[in-house]
Amino acid sequence: MAGKKLQSAKKKKMINNTIVHIVLAVLAIIWLFPIVWVILTSFRAEKGSYVSTFFPKAFTLDNYVKLFTDTSILNFPQMFMNTLFIAICSCILSAFYVLAVSYCLSRLKFKMRKPYMNMAMILGLFPGFMSMIAVYFILKAMGLTEGSLIKLALILCYSGGAGLSFQIAKGFFDTIPVAIDEAALLDGCTRWQIFSRITLPLSKPIIVYTVLTSFMAPWLDFIFAKVICRANSDQYTIAIGLWKMLEKEYIDSWYTSFAAGAVLISIPIAILFLFMQRYYVDGVSGAVKG
Amino acid sequence: MMKRGLATFLTGIMTVTLVAAGLTGCGSSTADKGSEKVRLMVWSPSEDQSKDSGEWLQTMCNNFAKEHPEWDITFVYGVADEATAADQVAQDPEASADVFMYANDRITSLTDADAVAKFGGKYKEEIESTNSEVLLDSLTVDGELYGVPFTTNTWYMFYDKSVFSEEDVKNLDTMLEKGTVSFPFTNSWYLPAFYLGNGCTLFGDGTDESKGVDFAGEKAVDVTNYAIDLAANPNFKIDADGSGLAGLRDGSVNAMFTGSWDANAIKEALGDNMGVSSLPTYTINGQEKQMLAYAGSKAIGVNAHSEYMEQAVALAVYLGGSDAQRAHYEMRTVIPCNTELLKEKDIASDPLVQAQNDTFNNTSILQPFVASMSNCWVPVENMGKGIRNKSVTHENAEEQTEAMNEAMNSNGIN
Repeated sequence: MAGKKLQSAKKKKMINNTIVHIVLAVLAIIWLFPIVWVILTSFRAEKGSYVSTFFPKAFTLDNYVKLFTDTSILNFPQMFMNTLFIAICSCILSAFYVLAVSYCLSRLKFKMRKPYMNMAMILGLFPGFMSMIAVYFILKAMGLTEGSLIKLALILCYSGGAGLSFQIAKGFFDTIPVAIDEAALLDGCTRWQIFSRITLPLSKPIIVYTVLTSFMAPWLDFIFAKVICRANSDQYTIAIGLWKMLEKEYIDSWYTSFAAGAVLISIPIAILFLFMQRYYVDGVSGAVKG
Repeated sequence: MMKRGLATFLTGIMTVTLVAAGLTGCGSSTADKGSEKVRLMVWSPSEDQSKDSGEWLQTMCNNFAKEHPEWDITFVYGVADEATAADQVAQDPEASADVFMYANDRITSLTDADAVAKFGGKYKEEIESTNSEVLLDSLTVDGELYGVPFTTNTWYMFYDKSVFSEEDVKNLDTMLEKGTVSFPFTNSWYLPAFYLGNGCTLFGDGTDESKGVDFAGEKAVDVTNYAIDLAANPNFKIDADGSGLAGLRDGSVNAMFTGSWDANAIKEALGDNMGVSSLPTYTINGQEKQMLAYAGSKAIGVNAHSEYMEQAVALAVYLGGSDAQRAHYEMRTVIPCNTELLKEKDIASDPLVQAQNDTFNNTSILQPFVASMSNCWVPVENMGKGIRNKSVTHENAEEQTEAMNEAMNSNGIN
């Protein structure tokens, strides 16, 4: 009797598991479908933007080769390097801003602390591109909209607002016991030393999280780059380049290379993510706890 | 994205007044500086500057500099294609090119922003003497000419000569009996061709905004009914997302409608069998009607804020002149529009040139550039999609057409 019951419970569990797995498999296919399609398209040998079959009839590497060799109209390697440079610089800057601001708001008690946090939250309700034309004219007034100064302008754009996105990092810092700070203070540490020697080593997960998000924002941004670069094609970022490839004059000959470019831009993010992944999950859950 | 925008937004508010003050301070200065040194910024599409197609822009600018030894010109090149240049210039004329190329449908945004210079005097006469009346109209606002035209911009028909004879391509319905035709049915730059052909009008002759759109009544309903039958015809395929071109490549489509930008790809697909022609007629209620495309022009404009107005205007006229147009045609197959150049044998015999100019002169209307035109795109597109999805049928064709007309006459706000 007992054995039978056990068996039926086992059976039930198996049926349950099967159903769950089937549902998950279907969802996985749906989610992965577009990505698989982009990768397949990037190796497609047939020309043009329209195909009647899901799987390419022939495969080739030419689309990738074209991206890096056919630079006379759309200079992809240059755009890639521009974007990488901008993304790395603004990643370092804004990661520093975010961590520094979060630390201050978490540890220092000063008069403007509460008003600042309220203001940041209210400003956070507005979309960033609302200000893009104003930002353009400000940058122009400072003479940053011509030549390679555009890179500086974009770095400023992407890192300038970082101080407002402190919430998650602050939440994490709040979970580190203040007693550690106080002990260090008693031993004669300055605030900067506490921040750099004690708090930062304890907050690897949130540093990783901050670095990832602040690298991805400039890497993927289109709208600010478009407004600020205007006709300076040597300063274009990859987002603008990929967009250009789909204009009616280029789409037929560049479509498969567009897919190749889309695959390529995901590589730096993927590397960064794989490298930092093990901290990433901790970081997000830790922050939620706080 | 939010976070970064916010700080910038804050600073934006604080500095707006400051910037406004700064901008007025550096307004346009006079052209006559007595100095020989000239700095001209020129914008063009990137193909005009690429090595593969012979660096048309650089070559032309250097030739221009040679012709004018009295000026020591430094050229600064930027990339802006004709479709977006007008918006870029209108956004910030002072930081834009002295000489740029734009598509005429954006001309009002340029004139509204006071960003484009008028042509007058001997230059205007020169332009007028070498271009057709319709072409000049496409660049004229309130009687003033705002650019030097260098090519026309419209669409026409490419077909497979092994399937259709020259007689066949005169009528769409004859073609549908002999082969497969693909048409961008859900694209509102193309679909109105049928309505315009049957007597529907946009803003009177295209310039009188108060007259509104007339896509109503029996004439329009007839076209909707014709279009429903057309979409149901097994030999008719809707061209969307490049399916027409793909069909030409694999032989499942024998004729399609597009413009010079696809000409090279079609030539590659069809080889010597490529035929080009202006738009065919179509038979509606037993009567032959001519399809009418939207046509426009591409022109070279001069920035109204240019510091070197005299030189900029001279350069614009040179870049739109017959020598430059010939070079443009030879290097990049940009179809010329200079009337004298079109008489020359080698150009006149090119079927692509013929088809484009036939279309421009005979089977098209000038695409209106009045502001209300912007309300006309979506309703027509929806009509095309409705017919494709079979939600527009013979039974409700009349009310659907009426609804389209109403939407085209309204800006959706009041």
